[in-house]
Amino acid sequence: MTQPPLLELQEITCRFGGLVALDRVSFSVHSGEIFGLIGPNGAGKTTLFNLISGVTVASAGKVCWRGESILALPPHRRNRLGMARTFQNLRLFDRLTVLENLMATMQRQPSSERERLRSAWQLLEELGLIQLADRDAGTLAYGDRRRLEIARALATRPKLLLLDEPAAGLNPSEKDGLCRLISALRSRHQLTVMVIEHHVPLLMRLCDRMAVLDFGVRIALGSPEQIRHDPRVIEAYLGGAV
Amino acid sequence: MIDNGLLVQMLLGALLGLSVYLPLSAGQLSLATPAFYAVGGTLAALLSTRWSALGATAAGSLPPASFLLVLILGGLLAGGLAVVVGQLVLRLRGIYLAISTIALVEIVRVAILNLPFTGGAVGIFSIPQPFSEAGGYLVPALAMLGLTAALCHRLETLPLGRAMGAIREDELAARCMGIDTTRVKLIAFVISAVVAGSTGALAAHFLNTWNARQGSFDVSVTTLAFVILGGSRTWLGPVAGGLLLTALPELLRPVGDVRLVVFGLVILLGPVIFPGGLVTTGLLERLGRSFVPRRHSASEVR
Repeated sequence: MTQPPLLELQEITCRFGGLVALDRVSFSVHSGEIFGLIGPNGAGKTTLFNLISGVTVASAGKVCWRGESILALPPHRRNRLGMARTFQNLRLFDRLTVLENLMATMQRQPSSERERLRSAWQLLEELGLIQLADRDAGTLAYGDRRRLEIARALATRPKLLLLDEPAAGLNPSEKDGLCRLISALRSRHQLTVMVIEHHVPLLMRLCDRMAVLDFGVRIALGSPEQIRHDPRVIEAYLGGAV
Repeated sequence: MIDNGLLVQMLLGALLGLSVYLPLSAGQLSLATPAFYAVGGTLAALLSTRWSALGATAAGSLPPASFLLVLILGGLLAGGLAVVVGQLVLRLRGIYLAISTIALVEIVRVAILNLPFTGGAVGIFSIPQPFSEAGGYLVPALAMLGLTAALCHRLETLPLGRAMGAIREDELAARCMGIDTTRVKLIAFVISAVVAGSTGALAAHFLNTWNARQGSFDVSVTTLAFVILGGSRTWLGPVAGGLLLTALPELLRPVGDVRLVVFGLVILLGPVIFPGGLVTTGLLERLGRSFVPRRHSASEVR
């Protein structure tokens, strides 16, 4: 176990004016695992994703990638290191076609147009979007848009995939499908996955480990089984006994 | 009605339209085109009138090779200026970028008006001409337009052009997907400046005289109108807009003084009647898919 974790957060703090969105949050994500992040609304989950992907700057603390600090790197450099994300409120390139959404993110590799097309086509097939390849992304149904965002992230060939509420707005059967999809993608692309999700049962099934945030503080960390029985988590979700 | 002189002006209009279109296709509303146009034109005017090595004769003619060199230098100077200015102004977005580029146009205009060697309000006149008549300029103007249009066309299937499209659609998402948005925006801005600079250099010779009024805020608005009326989704839009809107005031000459009112009405009503511009992707798809290289069909891959 001498190898440093793929991603490590050390005492990450983030303040917006007087509001402490994240308060000394630490944890590591190891290669190959599916790591869940849960917490009530406003707990700081998305802020944490923004910090990891470089969109927001941390007020204090450190973000390390394979043991090296990446705090100074802008988002596109972090993506090139091997992390790609999706967005809670979908940010597709709406007036580009589905295929172009993927092609646009393949800037460096593969290097030939032919390879790029082949690789994009493969991803579309994998995510069941192949019939929609020529449609403008903005015209797709909601569930398809969610999957396209995942496909677009995968097109950058990430090692770490950050999914921000991928199941939001999906019906129960779509949620099951997504669950299977994420597991399948992990093994096929040798991914490490970090998922933010409100739907706790889904996460419990999917994740190897999870962290719970409440008001910017990490109140629990461990396997789904440990989380399920953690008194602080039960208190945060159900309210404390008076 | 359309003589060679007007044709050249129409081609120059199309070139300026493309210069506005390039940053706009990366989502950047830059109105700096007239500044680079003025810089290119001024450099060309100065070089051709003062640099004896270019071989301008007393009769006012200029060897074609010198003319070509001046076109290139005009583009390069404008491009160099864009590298410096772009790093500053491209930090701004939307209307803030528009305002700061208008400021650049004003700064360049006032500088050309007041610099000791640019001829003040009169400007620089008797600029030597490589061609004895207006028709001669059709060849270099067409060549430049062809070159620029080909570049824009090619861009649509290159990673750079795709990155520009992604930035136009959602800059934050583009950054998170590994696109160096600062660099891509700067490249688009610099190409736009080179096109405008060379166009200015050509225009200076064609017009025979050059002064600060050539690159004014009016030109910012007119060139933007080329793109809005023509359409900003493919390079054909600004070309069509530039050609039409440059010709229109001349074609309306028989109407008399109301022609400028009609011209204004066209600019006003154009976007109302054609919301996406005259040339839209929908129109091109109806005309035939060959025009739209961006769309890949499934059969292409398998």
